[in-house]
Amino acid sequence: MSERRIFEHPILDFDRGYEFYFDFEGKKIKAYEGETIASALYADGLRKFTESKKLERPRGFFCAIGKCSSCLMSVDGRPNIRTCVTLAEEGMEVERHGPKAEFPQTDVGRGGERKKEEIEIAVIGGGPAGLMASIVAARNGSEVHLFDEGDDLGGQLVKQTHQFFGSHQEDAGTRGIDIGKELLEEARDVGVEIHNGSKVLGYYPEKKITIESDGRLEIYDSQGIVYAGGAVENYLSFENNDLPGVYGAGGVQTLMNEEGIVPGEKVLMIGSGNVGLIVGYQLLQAGVNVVEIIEALPEIGGYQVHASKIRRAGVPIRASHTIKKAIGDEKVEGAVVQKIDENWNPVKGTEREVECDVICLAVGLSPDTGFLRQADCEMDYVPELGGFVPLRTEDMMTTQRGIYVAGDAAGIEEATVAALEGKIAGAAIYEELHEETEDTRRSKEEAKEGLDKMRKGPYGEVPKQGVKTCTVDEEVCG
Amino acid sequence: MTEKYEAVIIGGGVNGLGTAYHLGKKGFTDVLVLDKSYLGYGASGRNGGGIRQQWTSEDNIKLARESRKMFERLDDELEEDLEFYQGGYLVLSFHEEEAAEFKENVKLQNKLGVDSKFLSPEEAKEIVPELDISDVVAATFNQSDGTIYPFKVIHGYADRVREIGIDIKEHTEVTDIVTQGDEIKKVKTSEGNIKTDTVINAAGGWSSKVAEMAGAEIPNVPVRHEIMVTEPYKRFLDPMVISFEHGIYFSQSEHGNIVGGIGNPDEEPGLNQKGSLWFLKNFSDTLLDFIPRFSGVHMIRQWAGFYDTTPDAQPILGSVPEIERFYQVNGFSGHGFMVSPMVDKVTAELILGEQPSMDIERLRVERFEDMDLEEEGGVVG
Ligand SMILES: Cc1cc2nc3c(=O)[nH]c(=O)nc-3n(C[C@H](O)[C@H](O)[C@H](O)COP(=O)(O)OP(=O)(O)OC[C@H]3O[C@@H](n4cnc5c(N)ncnc54)[C@H](O)[C@@H]3O)c2cc1C
Ligand SMILES: Cc1cc2nc3c(=O)[nH]c(=O)nc-3n(C[C@H](O)[C@H](O)[C@H](O)COP(=O)(O)OP(=O)(O)OC[C@H]3O[C@@H](n4cnc5c(N)ncnc54)[C@H](O)[C@@H]3O)c2cc1C
Ligand code: FES
Repeated sequence: MSERRIFEHPILDFDRGYEFYFDFEGKKIKAYEGETIASALYADGLRKFTESKKLERPRGFFCAIGKCSSCLMSVDGRPNIRTCVTLAEEGMEVERHGPKAEFPQTDVGRGGERKKEEIEIAVIGGGPAGLMASIVAARNGSEVHLFDEGDDLGGQLVKQTHQFFGSHQEDAGTRGIDIGKELLEEARDVGVEIHNGSKVLGYYPEKKITIESDGRLEIYDSQGIVYAGGAVENYLSFENNDLPGVYGAGGVQTLMNEEGIVPGEKVLMIGSGNVGLIVGYQLLQAGVNVVEIIEALPEIGGYQVHASKIRRAGVPIRASHTIKKAIGDEKVEGAVVQKIDENWNPVKGTEREVECDVICLAVGLSPDTGFLRQADCEMDYVPELGGFVPLRTEDMMTTQRGIYVAGDAAGIEEATVAALEGKIAGAAIYEELHEETEDTRRSKEEAKEGLDKMRKGPYGEVPKQGVKTCTVDEEVCG
Repeated sequence: MTEKYEAVIIGGGVNGLGTAYHLGKKGFTDVLVLDKSYLGYGASGRNGGGIRQQWTSEDNIKLARESRKMFERLDDELEEDLEFYQGGYLVLSFHEEEAAEFKENVKLQNKLGVDSKFLSPEEAKEIVPELDISDVVAATFNQSDGTIYPFKVIHGYADRVREIGIDIKEHTEVTDIVTQGDEIKKVKTSEGNIKTDTVINAAGGWSSKVAEMAGAEIPNVPVRHEIMVTEPYKRFLDPMVISFEHGIYFSQSEHGNIVGGIGNPDEEPGLNQKGSLWFLKNFSDTLLDFIPRFSGVHMIRQWAGFYDTTPDAQPILGSVPEIERFYQVNGFSGHGFMVSPMVDKVTAELILGEQPSMDIERLRVERFEDMDLEEEGGVVG
């Protein structure tokens, strides 16, 4: 396949702007306005971007959101640039520098005064939870700053082209991307100050946060914080799991639905939860061959509706199977899968080679809680919610007074739950810093009722038990 | 635990493990090393790995010199590449007065067999071409100084110690030391009691707390010190560069990362191990004054640990007057890694009643009562 860009898609519209070229190790590479360096190189077929620091193993496009450093290259003489979050520009000179770059040859300067600002409320993460928290606090009169490392707000919603599941009357049936857009518009309307491209780096006492924006450090001194940073993907250990071509489902979605580039030709999907099934289906929509979906459990993890769509497209879903290794030297050229028994032990003689150039891991999410740990929020291991989560009150306050949590960061559930928790956190932080209003009281009440409804039925029982074990009384908060 | 041991070492840092190693080498293996957390949780897993012999007091120069020699052999002994890189230490001075002291220091160091040199700013720049020397007045340099990878040393010791037959227990906190008269009877821990009559206090920043448990008094106070690491580069910096005036030090590890720290003169004593904004700003600003080209480099982590400080910035060794067989190996005041080989060897000798390889009389805790203190002036960070 020479062209890896998606030009036609049943749902998404990839409006490509102006076409230009940049230089990569002496070769001219085509790019479109708004494309990152990594995307353009990937579209051109490049697989090995750099090498790992210690063992010098090949590294390729992986997370696509600036988090894994598998795409570091030198750009116009500056080493260690994350090419997946750096836009390509006409005439740019890009070069690989392997595991270690030369020390920078030029002084790029200090960039003037460091930005330091006092603010009222900092909301971290612009997914449904963070957006909702911002909206409620701001419409009551708080000065709210919403920080998200991405260029587009909406969190996971931005990548979701499917019609949403979920029992929340307003949202079910609407595509994720559209829900995100509506929330963002509302946040703008009520005066939330939005800082996109702003990555939160760390927490420092007392409620100070550091941000990286445009390569510069900014410091915000806040009175209250809502942390809604979402989740991180789980990984799987198997031989060669670091080869370029092994992706998390998030990376595949970013590449395909945001960058408009297909990850490869033949995808082996690991995991048949909703994420695996949905991303598998999105790959089919983008014209990619999904060779099979394997699942370690004896049955499919996700909803039947999603599984049926996949099956109708002729993709086999194989339960009680796992991946043994990836094949290839510089990139994925295949995989070995095998059956496992009920104790997860491999069944001898069932090993089988699968031809593929992409292995996509969709093996669950864990709450992203590093920030909360830094802030000394007490944590508890709650498997029903996906791992370590912060203890919280019914009002979503952590054990640190004035620091709230909402959404997947508080426990892996779904978008509607995230939004409802955000609503509670937004109302509660306003009350903590000011006073109860008719709107905060009602928002909390409605959202709590909403959560009770969401956490009913066979799928709701598990998170409900989880939330019970990590909900605490306000007295334990500092 | 059923437990009874001839000696219990409190602290799984470089000095606790090093002392265990030297005891074990001499065939004394009925020893238990305890750490309340993981090995290297204390300063030993949080330091800059600097190995320097350019000190100002005789005791420290000798300890550091002998220890450097032992580090040179430690790879072979532990059968592990400890990444000891002898790129030297370049000590910069920004004042004539200090430069004059540097000259005296070099004399003393040379007399004691440390091959340091006094340099002009231009000579310093030859060693580190990226350096901005506009305000530098003079420098000293010693080639056999360098850096080591602390985790490899800790785990190298731990593996060896276990092979010899000494027990190590992590996540076991000592909560009390029970004495009768001037004798130790047992050690109480979060996991049960252990009978012993010999305890080694190698608890780093927690040493004075541990001493208190036995009813002994040592003057140590923990003070937070912070440090950071950047993304890796091909080697461009050979020596560790330090300045006492700025309180800064930085070097490049074998992995290519720059590791460095800066001391905050206003830091209050206390058991706080969090990173601060003060450090983030001041370290980066100062580093850029030294080497402007660092402006394009990303810091990837910052963290903190304790200097277990004493009034004269010298360690406390040997048993205490109040209690028999309660050995101190602490109070390193920010340089306990580089002197650990010799210190640990001597401690093992004292425990076994042997003639110590080095005279440590002036490093006993009694010095704070009946001796004139010789303060070590060469602490950085
Ligand atoms: C493939 C897939 C399909 C899904 N389908 C559905 C569905 O059909 N129905 C449903 O209800 N749910 C679905 N979900 C789940 C739903 O998307 C999540 O539960 C929801 O998005 C969680 O919202 P959130 O606000 O907590 O986090 P997120 O939406 O993950 O948002 C977190 C935001 O925080 C930002 N952030 C993180 N760290 C930082 C930092 N340090 N600095 C600045 N910003 C930061 C991120 O960039 C992100 O924008 C799906 C999820 C996936 C992966
Ligand atoms: C930022 C920084 C940079 C430094 N740079 C250098 C350098 O470049 N060169 C150098 O030589 N030195 C340096 N130092 C100093 C050096 O790290 C220390 O002096 C040395 O590591 C001390 O080792 P230790 O084994 O004595 O104590 P530690 O490593 O502190 O170990 C003490 C251990 O005792 C355990 N403990 C405490 N209380 C109890 C209890 N009640 N029960 C059980 N276990 C307990 C702790 O968990 C800890 O693991 C630096 C220190 C810091 C903080
Ligand atoms: S940081 Fe660029 S691919 Fe992960």
